[in-house]
Amino acid sequence: MEVLEAIRGRRSIRKYKPQPIPDEVVEKILEAGRWAPSGGNIQPWIFIVVRDRATLEMIRKVSPGYLGTAPLAIVVCSDKQRAFQVGGRLGRDYMTIADCAMAVQNMLLAAYALGLGTCVVKSFSPIAVREILEIPDGIEPELIVVVGYPDERPVVPHRFSIEEITYLDKYGNKFVRKGP
Amino acid sequence: MQEEQRTEAEERLFDILVFLATSARGCIDEPPLYGPFRLVDALSRLIDVYGHVPGLKKDPFLTEIKAEIDGKKFLVMSDPEGFKRFLDELVRKFTVELKRRSGQRS
Repeated sequence: MEVLEAIRGRRSIRKYKPQPIPDEVVEKILEAGRWAPSGGNIQPWIFIVVRDRATLEMIRKVSPGYLGTAPLAIVVCSDKQRAFQVGGRLGRDYMTIADCAMAVQNMLLAAYALGLGTCVVKSFSPIAVREILEIPDGIEPELIVVVGYPDERPVVPHRFSIEEITYLDKYGNKFVRKGP
Repeated sequence: MQEEQRTEAEERLFDILVFLATSARGCIDEPPLYGPFRLVDALSRLIDVYGHVPGLKKDPFLTEIKAEIDGKKFLVMSDPEGFKRFLDELVRKFTVELKRRSGQRS
């Protein structure tokens, strides 16, 4: 699948089939995540793959934004201590978030290309997730990626046009599209 | 350790309590419209309890309301004005039903 096709076709899925995801498919998604860009090459991400049903259910219950059931979730955490040691405050407070977000986007696109649906969840209780997954201090759960075979086709959401969000050379100077 | 025995109704209610507790904390930092979204989602989850609690039988009006909520709650993401209209309509339907149950006709 073309990258641009995956970027345009991916949607947030909130209804999944119960069908399990083969290990090799999960590994491909993780592989995509670990090749994301990283400020200072800190690679602060830590991925916790949750496929145990009881654990998955607990995570879902403490995550109001986690809607629908899926056979798998990847909890993307950042190693704040390591990020601070290597990247200082900028590394710890900003780059961890940016890096994890880029890793997540890579995983979303890879999952879509592999026929899977995903939904990124930020509306979860970090305290509860930390407790359930026994995450130690210094490691912060940033995002949850819910993964499963889609059982819905969401409508295409609104997107601002390029002209609405882009300027040329300086702020306020209109960018005019030349393409179709 | 002896495992505690819980009824399905107790488990369902406990899950809703967990949802409400985590939502309450989440709403402090989340977008303002997520508050009404969580409430209406909780409404749908509470309706689900009907039929699972002894003495609470399935209610056709609430079953219909739940279907409507589940079909329209995600408007909050794509169409905030449509979400508000959906909530207005929900309140109107509840009020009509309230009057009906109170013995008054609208």
